[in-house]
Formats: sequence, structure tokens, C-alpha cells
Amino acid sequence: MATAPNDEKQSAPKEVLLRVDSLSKIYDGAVKAVDDVSLTVNRGEIFGLLGGSGCGKSTLLRMLAGFETPTKGKIFLEGQDITNLPPHQRPINMMFQSYALFPHLSVWENIAFGLKRDGMPKDEIAERVDKMLSLVQLGKYPKRKPHQLSGGQQQRVALARSLAKRPKLLLLDEPLGALDKKLRETTQLELVNIIEEVGVTCVLVTHDQEEAMTMASRIAVMSEGYFLQVGFPEEVYEIPNSRQVADFIGNVNMFEGVIDEDEPDHVTVNCEDCIQYVGHGISCSPGQLVSVAIRPEKILLSQTKPDDKYNWVEGEIIEIVYFGANSTYHLKLTSGKVIKVQEINTTRELTCWRTWGAKAYAHWNDMAMIVLTQ
Amino acid sequence: MSQVSNRVFAKSWMIGVYAFLYLPIITLIFFSFNDSRLVTVWSHASLRWYGALVNDSDLISAVLLSLEIAFLSALMSVFFGTFSAFALHRYTRFKGRTLLSSMASTPLVMPDVIVGLSLLLMLVSIQHWLGFPQRGLFTILLGHALLGTAYANVVVTSRLREMDIRLEEAAMDLGCKPFQVFKLVTFPLLIPALVSAFLLTFTLSFDDVVLSSFLSGPGYSTMPMVIFSRARLGLNPTINAVATVTIVVVSAAVIASSLYQSHQERKRKREMALAYSNKNS
Amino acid sequence: MNESSSYVRHFNWGKLGVISVPYFWFVMLALIPILIVLKISMSEMELTSVSNMVDWSNGWPTVKLNFSSYLFIGGDALYIKTYLSSIKYAFITTLLCLAIGYPFAYFMARSPKHLQPMLLMLIMLPFWTSFLLRIYAWKTLLVSNGVINNILISLHIIDTPLLMMNNSFSLIIGMVYSYLPFMILPLYANLSKLDMRYLEAAADLGTSPFKAFWLITVPLSKAGIIAGSMLVFIPAVGEYVIPELLGGPSTLMIGRVLWDEFFSNNDWPMASAVAVVMILLILVPMAILNKYQAEQAGSKS
Repeated sequence: MATAPNDEKQSAPKEVLLRVDSLSKIYDGAVKAVDDVSLTVNRGEIFGLLGGSGCGKSTLLRMLAGFETPTKGKIFLEGQDITNLPPHQRPINMMFQSYALFPHLSVWENIAFGLKRDGMPKDEIAERVDKMLSLVQLGKYPKRKPHQLSGGQQQRVALARSLAKRPKLLLLDEPLGALDKKLRETTQLELVNIIEEVGVTCVLVTHDQEEAMTMASRIAVMSEGYFLQVGFPEEVYEIPNSRQVADFIGNVNMFEGVIDEDEPDHVTVNCEDCIQYVGHGISCSPGQLVSVAIRPEKILLSQTKPDDKYNWVEGEIIEIVYFGANSTYHLKLTSGKVIKVQEINTTRELTCWRTWGAKAYAHWNDMAMIVLTQ
Repeated sequence: MSQVSNRVFAKSWMIGVYAFLYLPIITLIFFSFNDSRLVTVWSHASLRWYGALVNDSDLISAVLLSLEIAFLSALMSVFFGTFSAFALHRYTRFKGRTLLSSMASTPLVMPDVIVGLSLLLMLVSIQHWLGFPQRGLFTILLGHALLGTAYANVVVTSRLREMDIRLEEAAMDLGCKPFQVFKLVTFPLLIPALVSAFLLTFTLSFDDVVLSSFLSGPGYSTMPMVIFSRARLGLNPTINAVATVTIVVVSAAVIASSLYQSHQERKRKREMALAYSNKNS
Repeated sequence: MNESSSYVRHFNWGKLGVISVPYFWFVMLALIPILIVLKISMSEMELTSVSNMVDWSNGWPTVKLNFSSYLFIGGDALYIKTYLSSIKYAFITTLLCLAIGYPFAYFMARSPKHLQPMLLMLIMLPFWTSFLLRIYAWKTLLVSNGVINNILISLHIIDTPLLMMNNSFSLIIGMVYSYLPFMILPLYANLSKLDMRYLEAAADLGTSPFKAFWLITVPLSKAGIIAGSMLVFIPAVGEYVIPELLGGPSTLMIGRVLWDEFFSNNDWPMASAVAVVMILLILVPMAILNKYQAEQAGSKS
């Protein structure tokens, strides 16, 4: 997970680089790919657009690049309206999904491509390209053609090409989508390091929440063309604003219930399986129907009955999913509801009491859950 | 059927079809080295008919005319075929797109006699009005270019379909104006398709007899027209000699180009494999 | 994604140019000529030129439509017979090409991957070499004192030469021979893309290979069958060179009639009318082919 927004960033005056005003893209007069989206991206930020396929994140990105014309709304870069600027006139560059490296040009020529279009003097181009090559550690292969490079190397050429013109805004379209899982983790960090070194502002599109969490400083969760929630990664994960977001990001157990006590310092919710005691106040009213969401890793399993009135359930382990570092236990409650509990495998014991069919208690503390009203 | 007899059946079927396709060609070549005036009775080997060929000025001038027409019409075909492929592939919605796409595919299947007749009647009407063009090289050229454009359109379209649109978007993104996108990215990537379209339309033109017969004027006989008029009269050993020369030249070109292509492909695959193994080491 | 409509806005000038060039070209050389044929088919021959359809002699335009050529075609049993026999020969050719070409394409698609480019090239090679010369070659094979008869007689299999030339046999051999690659290529393109896992799944579910072929391979290659058949049938209907060189005087093909009306009788309206009726006959197959091609293009993008 990304580090918390550090103090330096917090204290530095936030300067808005990109502003998008109620942007919409409607195809054939009916299909709303992007529906009235507004957002601001600050200078130096990596802004993540996260969502499933067809949620409109790519269309939004393509409108920023200039490949799609918005049906409605405006795009401002440094306060200047660029909505109707064609792609070749925007100070924005894109790193394409599966890279779109020119197959007939060498690595060097690929990186120099954009610079040549600007009519930069030859020696300056050479200098800039060499700088870029060393930035992405490809100094050894300037003459190679894209097909002579491995997937990770191609990715770095694509990055160098899109950074060469020193764009004000860099668009990343599924930058790691074409790499295999192992390579993805190391590349992720490399990518962020390079971006931070250059200090370029980014908009990143991805369907992979882990990728969004690790790379982006802020995330917008997108569905059906609009933003469900915008926030820091930990905000979106720990304080989702709706069932949909809680469901989309990570795993979650949902308990439906009715508000009973509603006090400034705590709330209780009567659910079918237990009474939930929430250790902070929320804005709601007694009798209101709510969902209580608890992440599986915030629940503990025990063999003995917890000595508490609230926040525990009893059940039977019906499934164990072993991941190596941790395991997820599926617990079937007396009501028939199944919840997931994730525990870290701290010991090397192969046998323990947590087996199929074992009776177990699951409990959590009063700050572990979030009450969702919508 | 068992696996083995299946395979035997498959193999013999394929050999049978290839034999059917190549038997006439082989016979043609074989009897071109026959000394006898009778094309089908072997006497003894000789190069007599090749000698006759060298002195056959009618035929030689026809060959030269055919080459000239084939070259020019292939150029025109590739030019217009690329345009129409672009129009049809890039712009999925414009008024009259269906009309354009059917006009572009009609010459592919329309019987030659109809294409020939209709073009001729149009050219005659124009000539009636304006006093030109005279029937001859130019009119044949137009006919062949029409046919060739339809074929070039197919070749270029299939290449455009394979091409990743993101490459062109990347070029735009990096600052290319629309025409620069074409010049710097699309066109270089299309070159192999343009070369094969050129070769295909060249051969089509070099091979055509029906359109040429309709469209040519006095004094303009292409090689197929000369061969056709001789073949109508009966068997003629010089035709065998011409055939052999054509077949050898064309086959050599086709085989060489396909060997070159598969060599390139293999080289590319090797380099790709190498790139990945280097990374791991 | 709606790729093409997306950035087109920036191209408006280019778009107009890119579309109008091929438009002009094809309208001039493909559309207008056909319209002229239609017009002339409804005119009369006047010495060296055809009559004007629009008559200005009264000071205002009068359109004179003359259907005499069509009436002549409809009233003459020979024309009708020729059209029917053209369709018959084209149909037989298509069926034979399919019968020979389908198994061939199937086996080719199943042969080792590294051999396939070569096998394909061997199919294309005759297609690249002169069509006319290959038809001529069949003449040397089939005539009474031709190569096949000579061989059979010298082997004492037959005593008198077989009559293989200048009849429907030689015509159909020539047509099948010329059009076979047009059948094989689309079929091969289609069959080589067929996912073998379908057949494995069928076998896994207990289907015999023979049944799997009819239940899976054939239906999935329908598009290839239609394309190949139309690519053979349509030009075969109007074929001129093959019947002229191999068919002899007794085989009736409409392409030859058109040719003779034009070159021997100099009757342009009649030749045009023959062409118009021929176009009407192949209109339906053409529509089928266009629909198929549009579907292919649609499914790929």
C-alpha cells in the first residue's frame, strides 16, 4: 500500500494542473461511456482511475489525450481550455496499453520521434534521448528494434518515449497490463521511481486495484461512467462511501442491520447474527437500515467464546483457502450466512485447530467496521 | 477409419489435387523442348521453338506492350487501391460508404466480359463527346487499373485491419499532424502490403485477355491477346516456349519473395526469443 | 471501442480527400459504365453508333425506351437455353470445386504448421502464372491426338482416342481447374482459424470424429463455403476464354454470346441487353457475397 500522504506534500501549496468540468461522452446518442465527470489533478500527483472493463475509464483517458471528443464538458490544463485541441497540439503524452512502439523504428528513433516533430536541434535531441535511455536503463540497446526487446524493456522504452517531450501531464493506460505477474511488482516500483524522479503529473488507468493502490497518490473508483468515490488509497479502502466501493476494492463481509442506539460516541446495530457495537458516532437515526462492512483481515478467529456482548459470531469452518503467507477461512454462521476471515500464517505448524468442520468464533474490535448507509 | 489410413487418404488427396494443378503446366514445359511441329508427339529434344520465339517480332512487341501496361496499371492500382482501402477502413460512417464498398468489390467477381463491354461503351461515349481518348494503350490501362484497384483494395485493407490503431494514435500523441502520421508511421508499415499489391496487380494485368480485347485499338496487341488468337486457331509450339519462359520467370519471382518473407519471419521470431532469454539471464 | 469515429474530427479535410479520390475513380469506371450499358441496351443500333435515348427533335426532350433487344432475348429459345446452360455449368463447376477443394483445404489446415506456408504457395503459384497458358495446356492434354490419348493408346488401354475435347467435359475440367484456388483459399483461411479445442471437446463429450466433422467443422466453416462458392460461381457464369478455347461450338455459354454480338454482329444494344440480363442473374449471388464480406469485416474490427 502507498505511504500516507506525507507532510511535505500536504504542506506544499496544492496547484491544480488539470481540471475536468462535468465531462460526458455519449455514443450514438444513448450509450453514456462517461457521465458528467468532474475532477482536479494537482501538480506532481499520480491520479489513478480504477474500474472494471467498460466503466468508462479508458474513454475518459482518451478524451484527455484528445482521441475522443467530449459530448459535453470542458478540460483545462493549467487553466487553459484544451477541450478542442487536437492530440498533436496538447502538451500531454500517453504511454499506451501494450505500448504501441513503432515496429519499424529503433529504440533510439522511437524515443526521438516526438522531439523531431517539435523541430528540436539535432544535438539537443541526441542529448535528450541519451538522458532518457539512461533514465530507463536502456543505454545498451539504442539500435534495437522493439521486437528485439523483452516485455519489460519494451515497457521502459514506451515510458521513455512518452517522457521525452517533458509533457505537463503523462497518461498511463494499463502500464503493466502486458507484463506477467512476477515482473509486474518490480516494474511497478521502477515506474513510480522514474515518474517521481522526473516529477511529472500522471493520470493512470488500471483495472487492477493493487496497481492503483501502490502507484497512485489518489484514486477515483469508476463505474458505469461516473465516479463512485475519489480519495487517497487508504481512504477508499478503509472508509468506502458505499457498498459498491467496499465491494469493488478488496474483500468485505456485509452485515445488514437496523440502528438501535445512536449516541455521539457510539452506535449499535442489530444484525441477524450479532449486535454490532461501533465505537464512534455516525450520522444516522434509530431504526434506519444500514450495512456494516468488515474486512476479512480485521476479524480474528478463536476456539473459545469471546467474553463480550458485542461484535462476535459463532460458526463452522466450511472452507480454507491457503495462500501461503495467509489463509482465508470461510465461516458458516448459524443463520446460514458465510463470512470470510483472513489470518496470517505466523507459524509453520501444518496441523492446527482451524480445520474443516471445526467450530470457531470470529470477533473484531469496535473500530474495525464501517457503517454504510448507501 | 483408422488414424493411419486417414493420413494416407489425406496425403493422397492432396497429392492428387497438386497433380491436377501442375500436370498441365509440366506438360506445357516438357513439350516446349520438343522438336516436332506436333505439340503432343515427342520426337527429340531441341530448343527450336525458343529460337523461333526470339525472331517472333509480333510476340516480342506484344510482350513489351504488356510489360509497359502491367507496370503502369499496377502503379495506378496500388495508388487508388490504397486510397479506397483507407476510406473504407478509417471512416466507418459516411454517406455512400456501402456504395463505395460494393463498387470496390464488384470488379473482383463481375465477369470480365461485362467489365470490358461496359468500360468500352463508356469510353466510346466520351470519345463521341470530346473526341478522345483513342482506343489503345491508355484505354487498356484504365481497364486493368480498375480491376487492379479492386484487388489492391483487398490487400491493403487486410493489412490495415491487422495494424494497431494505437500506433497512429501514439504518433499523433507525440506531435504528428495527420499527414505526418501517414508519412512516418502508416506508410512505412504498409510497404510490404503495397509491394504484394503491386506484384499481384502486375500479374493480373500481364495475364488479362478479355479486358484488353475490348479496350485495345488497332496496333495494340498485348501478349495474352496474341497468344489467345493463336491458341484459338489450334496448337502451336511457340506458345509452349512462351509459356515456359513466363512460368519460369514468374515462379522464380514468387518463390524468391515467399522464401524471403519466411526468412524474415524466422529471423524475427529468433530475435524475439533471444530478447526474452537475455532478460532472464 | 469506437475507434474510427473518435479522432476523425481532426481529419475533416483529409477525410473529404481520402474518400472522394476512390469515389471518383470507381464512379467513373465502375458505376457509370454499367449505367451506360443499361442505357444502350434500351437503344437501337444506327449504322455505326447507337440512337440517342433522349430525342430533342421536337424541341423538347423525349425519352425513347426501346425494349426490342430484351424482347428478342425473351422470345428466342436459344438465348434462354444459353443462360440456363451457363448457370448449369457454373453450378456444376462450383459443386466440383467444393467437393475437391473442401477436403483439400481441410487437410491443408491440419497439416504440420511449418509446411502450411509452402502448401499455400503451391496453390497460389499456378494462380500467378498465366491463366490463358494453363487453359491452353489443357487443350494439348485433351485433344484426340493429345497427350492423354497418346499415352492411353500406347499403353493399350484404349484403341480409339477418347473424345475429351470440345465438349462439356473439357469445359468443366477447364473451369474447375481455373477456379479451384478461389474455392480453396477462403476455405483454408476459414478452416485454419478453427479452434481444434472444439473438436477435442466434441470427442471428449463422446462424438465420433465423423460426426464431429459434420456437427462442428462444417457448420463453423459455413462462411468459407459461401465465400468460396460465390467467388467461383459468379465469374464462372460469364466466363468467355475457357468455353472459347475448350468448349467447342456445342457448349453454350452466355459470355461467348455477348462477345459474338459485340465483335461479330456489332450489335451493341443486343450485347448490352445480354449483359444486363447476366447482371440480373448474378445479382443475388453478389448480394450474398457482399453480405458475407461485410459480416467478416464487422467481426474482425
